[in-house]
This record gives sequence, structure tokens and C-alpha cells, in this order.
Amino acid sequence: MRTKKTLPLAGLLAAVALTVSACGADSGSDSPVTQVSAEAGSDKPGTVLDQPFEKPDLVLTDTHGKKYDLRAETKGKPTLIYFGYTHCPDVCPLTMNNLAVAKKAVEQNKQLTQAQKDSLRIVFVTTDPQRDTPAALGTWLKGIDPDVVGLTGDFSTIQAGARTLGISIEAPKKEKDGKIVSMHGSQVIAFSPKTDAGYVVYGEDTTVDDYTKDLPRIIEGEKP
Amino acid sequence: MNHRLIGRAAAITAAGVLLVGCGSAEGSSSSSSSDKPELKITGAYMPVPVSSDMAAGFFTVTNSGGADTLTSVTSSLAEHVTMHSTEDGAMREQKSFAVPADGALRLERGGNHLMFDMLAHKPKEGEKVSLRLHFATSGTITVDMPVKPATYAPKTGH
Repeated sequence: MRTKKTLPLAGLLAAVALTVSACGADSGSDSPVTQVSAEAGSDKPGTVLDQPFEKPDLVLTDTHGKKYDLRAETKGKPTLIYFGYTHCPDVCPLTMNNLAVAKKAVEQNKQLTQAQKDSLRIVFVTTDPQRDTPAALGTWLKGIDPDVVGLTGDFSTIQAGARTLGISIEAPKKEKDGKIVSMHGSQVIAFSPKTDAGYVVYGEDTTVDDYTKDLPRIIEGEKP
Repeated sequence: MNHRLIGRAAAITAAGVLLVGCGSAEGSSSSSSSDKPELKITGAYMPVPVSSDMAAGFFTVTNSGGADTLTSVTSSLAEHVTMHSTEDGAMREQKSFAVPADGALRLERGGNHLMFDMLAHKPKEGEKVSLRLHFATSGTITVDMPVKPATYAPKTGH
């Protein structure tokens, strides 16, 4: 839903329940109203954090089945991280396509050097590692942008990494009817090439135009 | 004012949250309310899916009459079309969606949506997907759902 971009700063470490953007998101939850008050009314799609996140110390497996050490691989590189899963018809492909299309648009940017453009890393970490094997992730990402780094591994490792970014995900659950319910995060976190810190948070209603506008700044490690 | 707070406090059903949370159709003081629902389907679209495994679909049902219920959806594109709400980042299948009297049912990005499983083929941008919406009272309404770019996300309701 197109609510105002009201990403709760104070409450980022609170459960995603409080940060999920949508109207229609919380039915049945009796979460108290005392939350997180978000600053409404900001026109900027991204929220620049006063206290940036440290990059999570995630060592996972990439789509080629190789070990991928997030901190080592993305050190000094502008990096966007999203947690989602491939059996997800709506928000996960939308978010990843937004990033992929914005990245393509940035290729036309004349202010940035080719080396700067090439340094951008987009990382998709699965929240459903059992179904999202390296091969399954690779196939799915090929349909979006083969340059995206797709990571899978042990769920508890992924969950702990997400938690350090204020993203709360639960393990996929099998419902009574055999359907598997997985969860995706609702934020994309941008990490600066200068500090390697996660300094901008984008909610799930950020559009491709928003990303296209902000990406050059993020590639330079500046505030969008 | 943060609309979400209102929504959270007040809403019981997903549809309720949608309406209250978005401050859109709820409370629209229509005087035309009779018992018979008067449905109009607008803004239908399917984003180009990543693969033929699954796709999503969105539309708005505006109702200028009495309450109705969307009980099922069928399409030639997929054997299974299911209705889902999104709660806390998790999709939940719903057996039906309420269409409130003098209100609207909105399926949109990040919220309620249709899920198409195991598509007959991967639809291309510009293609039209035929959809049959089955309502408890109004019967079946057929909609041609255009296929839009994967990044298409119209702003609605605000």
C-alpha cells in the first residue's frame, strides 16, 4: 500500500510486524499501538539512519554452490541487501526487479565511472533456504538479473544476520493443508562503499524510479 | 497521523485493515446502498512474472451497493488461482475476500493478491489474461487482466 514512507527509525530493531509497510498487513495481530513512531511525511523513499547498521557477518553459499563471505566479498563496495524467497509472487520479484532495472538505468549515468558502476553489489538472501537451493536461486535470479548475488544456507544463520539489520523473519512453516508459508523482509538496506555500514533503509513501496534516483548517490557513498 | 496505527487498532479482518488503514473507501457516504451489490472491477493487472512457476494479479472491486464476497477466481492461464493476504511479510491463503457494502476490495502490491500457480505459459507484457471472478451474490464477472512490466506498481487509494 502506498502509505507514506514511514520507516520507524527508533523501532528498527523491533519486530518486522511493526515495520511491515502495508495497510492490510497486520490483521489479527494485537500488537500494541505504542510503537515506533515513525516520522510521517517525508518524501524521500529511503530513510538515512542516524545509527547505521554494521554489515552482518554472513558466510553463506552462492548460486554456484561456492562459499560467499558477505563482508569480505562486498568490502568497499556499494551493496544492497534484501531478504526474500523465490516462491513469492508479489513483493520479492517486485523488489528485485526494481533494483535490477534501476541498476540498468545507472549504466547510462555519465557522472559515474565504469569502475564505480561495476562495484555495485545487489545481494538477495533467501529466507526459505530449504526450497531455495543454490540452483533454484540461480534459475530465479536469471529471470531478473544474473549479476545479483543469491545466497542460501542455514536458516538460523540467515535469521541471525537479518536480525542485526532489524529484519525479523521466521522459518518457513508448513500449514495444515501442506502449504508452506515463508516470509520476506520488507526492507532493502544500502551499505556504503566508504564505511561498509548499512546507512539507508528502503521500505517495500519504494519504486523503481526512487531507486534509479538514489543509486548513483549510494554508489558514491553519499546520502541520497 | 499515521494511518497504520488506526488500522492496527481498529481492524479485524484483512479487508478491514485495507480500508481503514488506507483511509480510502471506508466511510464513503453513499446513499445508493441497496441490498444488491453493484460491483465494478478496475485497475486489473498482472506483473510479468519471473518464471512460469507463479504469478501475481491485482485489481480493485468497487461496490456501490450491498455487501458481497469474492469466493473464488479462475483463469485459463493457471489451474490454480488462489487468494492471498500478506501479513507481516508472510502470505496467507484466504478462502474468500469480503467486498463491503459501499466500499471496495483492493488487491494491490504488498497486500492482498491473487496467486497463479504453475502457469500454462509465461505471459508477456501486453498480453491479456482472462480472469473469472466468482462472487457469492453477483455471480461471475469476467475481466481481461493486462500484463504489465515486472516493476509496475500503480499508486492507488491515496
